Amino acid sequence: MEKLASVIIIIGTAFWFVSVLFLGGRWQWQMFAALILTIGIFIAHFWEELSEGKNKNTPKDDN
Amino acid sequence: MARERISQADEWQTWAQRYDIEGGVRTFESGLTGKVFFGALFVGLLMMPGSIYLSYVSGQSGAAAAPWVAVILFTELARRSFTTARRQELYMLLSLTGAAVGSGMQYRSFIWYAYFVNTQQAISYEIADKIPAWVVPSGDSVAIATRSLLHPDWLLPVGIYLASKFLGTLRVVSGQYILFRLTADLERLPYPMAPITAQGATALAETTGKQETWRWQVFSIGSMAGLIWGFIYIGIPALTGVMMSQPIQILKIPWIDFTQSIEGFAPTGVFALRTDFGQMLFGFVLPFPVVMSEFVAAMLSQFVLNPHILYVNEILHQWEPGLDVRATSLFNGLDFWRSYDIGKTFSLGLVGMAASVPMLFKLRSTQKKAGQRGSLATPPNRGDFPLWLMGILWLIGMGGFVWLIHWMVPNFPLSFLLGFAFLYTPINSYITARTFGVLGRDLFEIPYLHEITFILSRYEEIDIWFAPLPDEDYGAGTQGWRVLELTGTTFTSNLAATLLIMPILIICGILVQHFIWQIAPIPSAQYPFVQMMWPINATNECLMKTSLRDGNSEIIQAIRGDYVAAGFTSSLAIYGLLWVLKCPSMWFYGIIGGIGADPGSMVARLLGAIIGRFYMIKRFGLKRWFMFNPVLAAGFACGVGLVGMGTVAVALVSKAVIVKPF
Repeated sequence: MEKLASVIIIIGTAFWFVSVLFLGGRWQWQMFAALILTIGIFIAHFWEELSEGKNKNTPKDDN
Repeated sequence: MARERISQADEWQTWAQRYDIEGGVRTFESGLTGKVFFGALFVGLLMMPGSIYLSYVSGQSGAAAAPWVAVILFTELARRSFTTARRQELYMLLSLTGAAVGSGMQYRSFIWYAYFVNTQQAISYEIADKIPAWVVPSGDSVAIATRSLLHPDWLLPVGIYLASKFLGTLRVVSGQYILFRLTADLERLPYPMAPITAQGATALAETTGKQETWRWQVFSIGSMAGLIWGFIYIGIPALTGVMMSQPIQILKIPWIDFTQSIEGFAPTGVFALRTDFGQMLFGFVLPFPVVMSEFVAAMLSQFVLNPHILYVNEILHQWEPGLDVRATSLFNGLDFWRSYDIGKTFSLGLVGMAASVPMLFKLRSTQKKAGQRGSLATPPNRGDFPLWLMGILWLIGMGGFVWLIHWMVPNFPLSFLLGFAFLYTPINSYITARTFGVLGRDLFEIPYLHEITFILSRYEEIDIWFAPLPDEDYGAGTQGWRVLELTGTTFTSNLAATLLIMPILIICGILVQHFIWQIAPIPSAQYPFVQMMWPINATNECLMKTSLRDGNSEIIQAIRGDYVAAGFTSSLAIYGLLWVLKCPSMWFYGIIGGIGADPGSMVARLLGAIIGRFYMIKRFGLKRWFMFNPVLAAGFACGVGLVGMGTVAVALVSKAVIVKPF
């Protein structure tokens, strides 16, 4: 799930760059990229919160 | 070595725990006593004039100082009387004094509209003669010419304000309470930031005990620094303003503008160094990753993105050489950044939902294990109210408010008002209450909601722009109820204190605002901050209020779907990439805050953050430094506030003296 989320997010980001650089930055293409990113981010958070093997470490307290 | 992944909830909780050094208490006492009530009233009303005056002079009211001054006086009196002050009393004192000092600001909009109605901008945009009488008297009114808030012409605006205030109190108290019960009692959300406020009262309550703690020393250090800085930044301009037509400013208020200096290598970039170095204290307190990433993002925006990408590609096309920070910011905003910011804000809402929806599932599973959630039973002696009663009060408050707005703008579709009142407000408030309960901050906001509503309603009169709409958010206020619980203060005593002090403050607030308006026109050279800011605010307000006129407005034209989508998608991409790279989510909030912003406004905060991170933590240790932070900041605010109050008192007295020519 973590890798899946990462791949989707990277695809979404790459597609956004493509939409801006090669597709004239039209909002329709950008929002399509946003949809991909949204799916990736939701998967990421669901994995983070719900997976059994989630990381129990607390952040290092070094500011 | 691979970086460890930390969940966002854990990351934020860890930050919150740095400030949370005390557990909550579960015995409840009333914080309202006669000495607390009159003490708060005395100090609050004494400082209210200075607070209003400071807000016009420097843009900051200094109101944060007043509650602490009240508490210090109170604790000193307690010590001299060989008695102790209770935590509940001190928290109540903080709360009441804050309300008393802030009460003058409630009439600030009257002064603003009295200025706005006669501005060249309002006239040229054909707004001036269309401002409703329930907002401000007409521009040629004697009340405005003589700068008097006590003139009969103000009866209607003040009457509307008082009715709104009464109905608002009903709604806010009941709405916050219901949400608090749902989130804190039923769902047991942790409210991680609430202990910070509670700790302030605890710290000073300790000083009335037998042993003096470190807190008093830290508070004193902060106060002395605040006194020195306050004298330089506020005292000298205020005092010289008494004697000279043009006050002396050792550091120019509010900024030193370098925008024209950098235009050679960074056209369309802005850099105005904000001179309020009191902001360093915020740098001490705020998380270092947020401050740093915010500054870096702002620098990249103004020195790379604006001049070398957006300007080169003619996206920023209205800028011309020689413009200052205000004009450059205005044109950049119209060309690109306003649209981008809309998308950026939407991304914050989506990211908040993405973080909080899975948390719901997680909390449900935690509930089963702990068996503590799912009950609306209240702790004994907390001073709770029946939920049905609060529900009825909210319905009365909201129903009355909708009726009032309908009376003010009778042709605006009632269905929109009802939708806002009984659908949007509860949902929006609940989402915010949840985010405060888990993350300690608001993450959900729909930008330009009013504008979108007006477009959908096809209502074209300008009066709707001046009317309040029932789109409210009680979520943030639920944290206050949690602070009451942590300090062991009964809810009934807090409500009684609020209702007792309100009528007094309503009357005193308008009297003081009237007197300050009598001193000099607002804006004028006597009030440098508003003189600098209000003209640009007037232009912005005109742009906003005419944005839907003829369906062909400047601001609507300035909002471009491509740029909104760019703001939305790029923000999501930043968030996603930070997650993929296992970077702290704090960076995201810093980057989003910094994109398109002026880095000059962040220099002081950055200095504070760097000093805190690389010197103070090493010197004192992380835990102690984060214990010192809130107390030091409170001391500093107190020091600045004291100087402000002192100089303002001199200024007020000198202005009140009439010099006779013989």
